[in-house]
Amino acid sequence: MHDESDLQSATPERGDASAQPRGIFLKRALLGGASLAGLAAFADSDALGSAGPSAAQDRRIFAFALVLEDLKSAFYAQALEHGALRGELRRFANVASKHERAHAALLRRALGRSARPTPQFRFGRSVREHAAFVTTAARLEDLAVAAYNGQAGNLTKQGLSSALGIVSVEARHAAWIRALADQAPAPRAADPGEGTAEVAAALKRLHLR
Amino acid sequence: MSDDPQLELARTLAAIDRDGALAETAAEAFPRTRGGFLRALAGAGAAAAGLAAPARALGAGGWSRGDVAILRFDLVLEYLQAALYTEAERIGALTPTTLGWSRVVGAHERAHAQAIKQLLGRDAVPSPAFDFHGVTEQEKPFIKTAVAFEELTAALLKWQALRLDSREIVAAVATLHSVETRHAAWIRRIIGLQPATNAFDRPASQSRMARLIASTHFVAERSRTSGRTRPKYTG
Repeated sequence: MHDESDLQSATPERGDASAQPRGIFLKRALLGGASLAGLAAFADSDALGSAGPSAAQDRRIFAFALVLEDLKSAFYAQALEHGALRGELRRFANVASKHERAHAALLRRALGRSARPTPQFRFGRSVREHAAFVTTAARLEDLAVAAYNGQAGNLTKQGLSSALGIVSVEARHAAWIRALADQAPAPRAADPGEGTAEVAAALKRLHLR
Repeated sequence: MSDDPQLELARTLAAIDRDGALAETAAEAFPRTRGGFLRALAGAGAAAAGLAAPARALGAGGWSRGDVAILRFDLVLEYLQAALYTEAERIGALTPTTLGWSRVVGAHERAHAQAIKQLLGRDAVPSPAFDFHGVTEQEKPFIKTAVAFEELTAALLKWQALRLDSREIVAAVATLHSVETRHAAWIRRIIGLQPATNAFDRPASQSRMARLIASTHFVAERSRTSGRTRPKYTG
């Protein structure tokens, strides 16, 4: 992430999100290199689900997912670069990194010209310190599962087909890294979906800087 | 990455099923005389074949007939998995790690069965009787069965999601789907397989799952001359 002021402007509180016109968020997303701004564009998540599935809605959801995939992809790449990971943890980061890049590439292809360029991210100690990496990785993977699950009912069948192929692998990452973190790999009988606003807020709470 | 989910599953089975028994039988044609289980799935099979059929015909819960058929199939599948893991837990003969996995996953599958039953309401089907033929008390057969069912269930839910009419049911099934892949990744790690191999997981059809179930002979045969006795509830 860039800096704290960016974070705050990029992820408005939920009340603000619904009070302001959608265009403001979209503009923020298009303007800034601020990574979270991409997610804030979707913060009025109710607007996503209110209409039935459509190709246009699939694109909005995919654009949202792309920010997450870019973020995770950069997170693993930077952690591997800093070289603090050893053994199975390093193997996990290698595999997950490769998968997230493939996910981002698929979403980019689907979005075509409307896809945003890869943002710049800074993750601070979570890519430098073993313990911080494990905690953040587990949280990011769980969050990705929740984000995709939250949109399952909003996608066309075509969009859903791609999303399920991806979220299935995110859930594998989540179980794997949770096992490495000594957390329950499958903590609940169901993985509840979260709306875009909740996902953006959760990312903000991670303080990835 | 393999383009063929069947090939991918075959590879997984090859890695864990060294004597080939499960893979071999899974490849066999769907037997015609599977008694109670086939009757339970009769509607599901028909719907899987012709999902475009009367789209507006609704079952008791207000879901389309195709959706009811899919949910019924899933309910029987969850009964089977719940019973398998519950029995393993009751007998307690597996290694502590496997037993720990089974205990958690069993609780999840019981919850899934309950949730699907509620979705179905009056359209729910009762559980068939199961006979696991000792699989629940032997480490290796149990693990290869568990991996096969968890992997194939996750793949099946992907296939079904594209055929469901109701967005509400799609959203509900999605929350179960990712848990099944967590189970699969977890047990794979326990036995030393990489938890996540491909960047994308692929769907597998309902008939593929029906073949796997048939191959295990877990659904107990019942004498046809014994009258209309209610099945024993094991789920």
